[in-house]
Amino acid sequence: MKQVAEGSQAVSEAVRLAKVQVIAAYPITPQTHIVEIISEFCSNGTLDARFICVESEHSAMAAIIGAASSGVRTFTATSSHGLAYMHELLHWASGARLPIVMTDVNRALGPGWNIWLDQTDSLSQRDTGWIQLYCEDGQDVLDSTLMAYRLAESVNLPVMVVLDAFFLSHTYEPVDVPDQEPVDKFLPPFSPRFQLDTDNPGAFNQFVAPQAYMEMRYNIQTAMEQVPGNYSHIAEEFETIFGRQHNPAEAVQCDDAEIIFVTAGTTVSTCRQAVDRLRSKGEKTGLLKLKMFRPFPIDLFRQVLSGKQKVAVVDRNCSFGASGIFAQELRAALYHAESPPQIFGYIAGLGGRDVTPETIEDIYWQTKNADSPQTENIWIGLDQETIESWRN
Amino acid sequence: MTDNKTPDNKIPLFLPHSSASTALNKTGSWRYVRPLYDEKTSACSAACPAGEDIARIEMLVSQKLIPEALETILEENPFPAVCGRVCFHNCEGACNRGQMDDPIAIHHLERFLGDAAISSKETPKVDTLPENGKKVAIAGSGPAGLGAAYFLARLGFGCEVFEAQSEPGGILRWGIPAYRLPREVLDKEISRIAELGVSIHCRTPITREILGTFKTQYDAVFIGCGYGRAVDLQIEGAQKAINGLQFLYNIRARHAVSLNAKSSAAVIGGGNTAIDVARTLVRLGVDPIIVYRRRRQDMPAFDPELQMALDEGVKLKELLSPIGIKDAAGDSADHQPSYVVTLQKMKVSTTKIEGRARVVPDGDKTETLQIDHIFAAIGAEPADPWHNVPSGERPSLHLSHCEIVNSDVPIAYGGDLTNRVKSVADAIASGKQAAITLDTYFKSGWDAVNEAVAGCQVGPGPTVSMTMYLGKEREDRNPHIVSFNEINTHYFKSAPRTIAPVLSPQDRSQSFLPVEYTLSKEAALEESRRCFNCGICNACDYCRLYCPEMSVIVENAGRHINLDYCKGCGLCVAECPRNAMALKEEDI
Amino acid sequence: MAQLNVTDRDYFKPGHLGCPGCGAAIAIKFALKALGEKIIMVIPASCASIIVGPYPQSAVNIPILHTAFATAGAAASGVRAALDMKGDTETTVLSWAGDGGTFDIGFQSLSGAVERNEDCIFVCYDNEAYMNTGVQRSSSTPYGMRTTTTPGRDWKKTRKKNIMEIMAAHRIPYAATTSIAFPEDMIAKFQKAKEKKGGSRFIHIFASCATGWGAPSEMSVKIARLAVQTNIFPLYEIENGTRYTLNYKGDRPVEDYLQIQGRFKHLNKADIAQIQKMVTEDWTAVCRKTETAHTG
Repeated sequence: MKQVAEGSQAVSEAVRLAKVQVIAAYPITPQTHIVEIISEFCSNGTLDARFICVESEHSAMAAIIGAASSGVRTFTATSSHGLAYMHELLHWASGARLPIVMTDVNRALGPGWNIWLDQTDSLSQRDTGWIQLYCEDGQDVLDSTLMAYRLAESVNLPVMVVLDAFFLSHTYEPVDVPDQEPVDKFLPPFSPRFQLDTDNPGAFNQFVAPQAYMEMRYNIQTAMEQVPGNYSHIAEEFETIFGRQHNPAEAVQCDDAEIIFVTAGTTVSTCRQAVDRLRSKGEKTGLLKLKMFRPFPIDLFRQVLSGKQKVAVVDRNCSFGASGIFAQELRAALYHAESPPQIFGYIAGLGGRDVTPETIEDIYWQTKNADSPQTENIWIGLDQETIESWRN
Repeated sequence: MTDNKTPDNKIPLFLPHSSASTALNKTGSWRYVRPLYDEKTSACSAACPAGEDIARIEMLVSQKLIPEALETILEENPFPAVCGRVCFHNCEGACNRGQMDDPIAIHHLERFLGDAAISSKETPKVDTLPENGKKVAIAGSGPAGLGAAYFLARLGFGCEVFEAQSEPGGILRWGIPAYRLPREVLDKEISRIAELGVSIHCRTPITREILGTFKTQYDAVFIGCGYGRAVDLQIEGAQKAINGLQFLYNIRARHAVSLNAKSSAAVIGGGNTAIDVARTLVRLGVDPIIVYRRRRQDMPAFDPELQMALDEGVKLKELLSPIGIKDAAGDSADHQPSYVVTLQKMKVSTTKIEGRARVVPDGDKTETLQIDHIFAAIGAEPADPWHNVPSGERPSLHLSHCEIVNSDVPIAYGGDLTNRVKSVADAIASGKQAAITLDTYFKSGWDAVNEAVAGCQVGPGPTVSMTMYLGKEREDRNPHIVSFNEINTHYFKSAPRTIAPVLSPQDRSQSFLPVEYTLSKEAALEESRRCFNCGICNACDYCRLYCPEMSVIVENAGRHINLDYCKGCGLCVAECPRNAMALKEEDI
Repeated sequence: MAQLNVTDRDYFKPGHLGCPGCGAAIAIKFALKALGEKIIMVIPASCASIIVGPYPQSAVNIPILHTAFATAGAAASGVRAALDMKGDTETTVLSWAGDGGTFDIGFQSLSGAVERNEDCIFVCYDNEAYMNTGVQRSSSTPYGMRTTTTPGRDWKKTRKKNIMEIMAAHRIPYAATTSIAFPEDMIAKFQKAKEKKGGSRFIHIFASCATGWGAPSEMSVKIARLAVQTNIFPLYEIENGTRYTLNYKGDRPVEDYLQIQGRFKHLNKADIAQIQKMVTEDWTAVCRKTETAHTG
């Protein structure tokens, strides 16, 4: 049923529909609405689940690891510093092969304290063995969360569903909240492949010597390699039941494009608008929406971007000393492609600074007017006076 | 979509999950020392002349295994009911528990077991060897002679005991009063020895001539005739004194004794005989005074016996030595004292002899004592010279409790004739030692004797054990004597010693009934539980409880260490409350 | 056991990796005797993580969840929540942490869990330092001990953190101290804890470490006994944070305990006197609380 709902509500509805059994979370702006709505669901019986009000994010992930190891469907949500605090246990969750689903609301890392959109928090976790799905709007969020459970439980790897702070978490849009019945068809009850069981005792996650550790790691990598195939099968089924398609990457007007934008999150929908505008002016431009970041959909990107002239990557994040992370990943993915395009990296909209269709158009013209990238990144929208003041 | 859709493609998982047992990991390879069960010798058993396995006996009592406890005592001592009444119980002085609170009442427990053996329907079984066709003649049916008969019969010898008196027992019957050792108790223990096939011929004194004939009729001879003659006072008027030993004999033989009630008597002497005479006199209504030339603490008599005597009204005069006895002037019809004894006052000299204070006459100081009767109990000696161990004849084997003349027919001497300490327990010890020695001689010759005797010593010796000689488990017992420091007193709660019920002094002095009662079964159980069981494993299970490797295995046959896993930490050995374990280095 | 009120049955297998004489291994042995096999153990990084066996072995027929160092309280809470959701009311969740995972890095998650009164038994087996990583100091290290991070003249000069008082401050239904040298007491307390379902139970175990404390391996139990007999580690229980019950009154001087361990051998007479003063002070405080509990 279509509702006007903010992104946080969409997450919560998905958690309810997925019949999650144990939730443990610690509040942090701008995730707080998620935990509040789910608390309410648990309290009024809408959701039959145990909500543990843990005393930190590290403990939230620890509690979820405990619960998932005991064979129940679990959920947590966090953002920014909370996610950073959990970092140790993100490695643990994937190494333990637990099908945990977590929402991360992309928020800037301090200092200075900043509660607005920045993608560095989730991207800093790209080495932890979690699958990462980025969402463009409220519907995307709800659908991705449901698909995340199917995906996680099929490969026994945890999934992070990412949405933008405020621009998505607190923005109201029409969202189709499905009924329980079709969801049950799509997402059966959790059937754990292993769990703590007194009838079948064993020890989990203990000391492993070099002789076996590497094979366990290889098993994780193998599972990750399985993800794109599983995801497309799951997405296909989702489309059949719910009528909506969510691919790991979505190509928009790319066939004859000379310059293609690559970005993720709400910036994608801004890009759609900018691309339409530029096309109406006769510019050959397109957009490749990045939805699945981990595992990076190398094949798909090579397929779409091989032979194209230029790519403009919009990163609302930065890995200091290197570059914007999407740009970096893309360059690596396309290194072995047949005739890879030139890749122009742009860093914009950090810490909640707005990225408008004008910003995208500006990026387009900069890309078009340059023969080749002069630097790894160009920072868009910096205040020159401020920068001058510290240089003098 | 159908309901039975194919599951999402799931690849096999390989994650850290363990269910194989750590028991695959043989941690015994870590070890450089290994624990073992190493039962050791208790101080009490080493102090017991009969070598009774006391720690084990008390353990069996505490486990309510009374028949097993009886057998364990009878293996080493045929006279537990007797000893439980008359033994001077060195064991209690050595008892380690005494350093924590009170020593175990071993003496009373022995009596309890001895009485239980007597009243039990089945005779407890002791180890015996098949008959070996050899015969031994035994002169004297005191504790030494009967002890020798008991052990020799068990070793397969045919034994014949020759006794001069009308009934067997020697000092047990004729020297110890009934209030200490009732007749029935003695009779029962003697008949148990006879049941082994020992013949006892009473009213058959042995002379030197008859001894000569034994050399053709028997394969060996044991002489345990004891100290049958009292030593006389060597003073003027000595003949006026009544022989103390003879007096006790007459009482036991129920001969008439002419003593006026309420008359007074002086008993000269400081040994057990003097005490026995004095306490017997009390019971006959006489007023006795013990007169001793040294002090109370120098008396060879058992002080508890002396104390009982004093409680019963016997008086003691110390540091007085008689130098003359005269008839008293006056008419006996006036009930005047019959004798006047002149007593030299003595004083303690500064020098000592063998730890005992030496006394010397205190100048000319004397005092007189007017008394109705005088009894002499100053010592005894062999009744006939040939009872003594011969000197200067064929080479002799000198052992701690017996001497053996190794002629064609070996002649063994034991009991008071050879023992430094003249006691019932030592007499039994000499019988056992002689039996073991003779058996070894007949099987392996004289040269084998020292090694055989050494091989069955309790602790460092000289006490020997029959059980060890027969090659039973006790043979493996470590001879180290467990000291108090080696006991983990934390495992024991302080508890006072059980007191055996005793007749009041007034009741005691009225009759010859036994002075002490035997402990009840409940009291015996409770007292036996106080025993540390020094050096003996009593299955307390603390080793098993504390073993961090779960490597103490308990099976029907006992317990052992699982060497596959034992890391040699030593906790079992350190925590054993009673030092029944040891650590040994591994051969690396 | 023959003369003891303790079951013969063991739920802990040999072949585990504890050092010879390991007090922690004895603690596991006794706890499992009391609790049986219908439990799930949560073990954060500690000696126990290694003792119970490396991959692919386990020293128990009990499901174990090994977790990160700081997480015992939280992970146990998660396991409990899952069991509740599955309708399992029988299985006991047993968190088994060392002093690091309880007093220091694990302190937050433990406090969080017991403040929520999570229905688990939280055990701290205490060897008074980070033993698994090589004897570095923890906040459970007692005043006077030398460790690798309080070496030489910098031996620890702050007191051992009083974890029992901290648990009492959370008003949990049951908290108790135990020592491996008092097996019947320990087993009884574990059984008591098992029966007090529905809230947080905390058991503090004095688990000697001969290896880390500089004592021969066979002294583990004796040291644990002396700790109680000198009132350095009193045996007592606290119910609902207010009702104190004393289980043992010791009467030996601290010197008896200190002089047999290498970790204290640098202490001089003045130091020992100071320790005696502090121990007497703490002991008096516990006794006073026991009295007021009965009169209050």
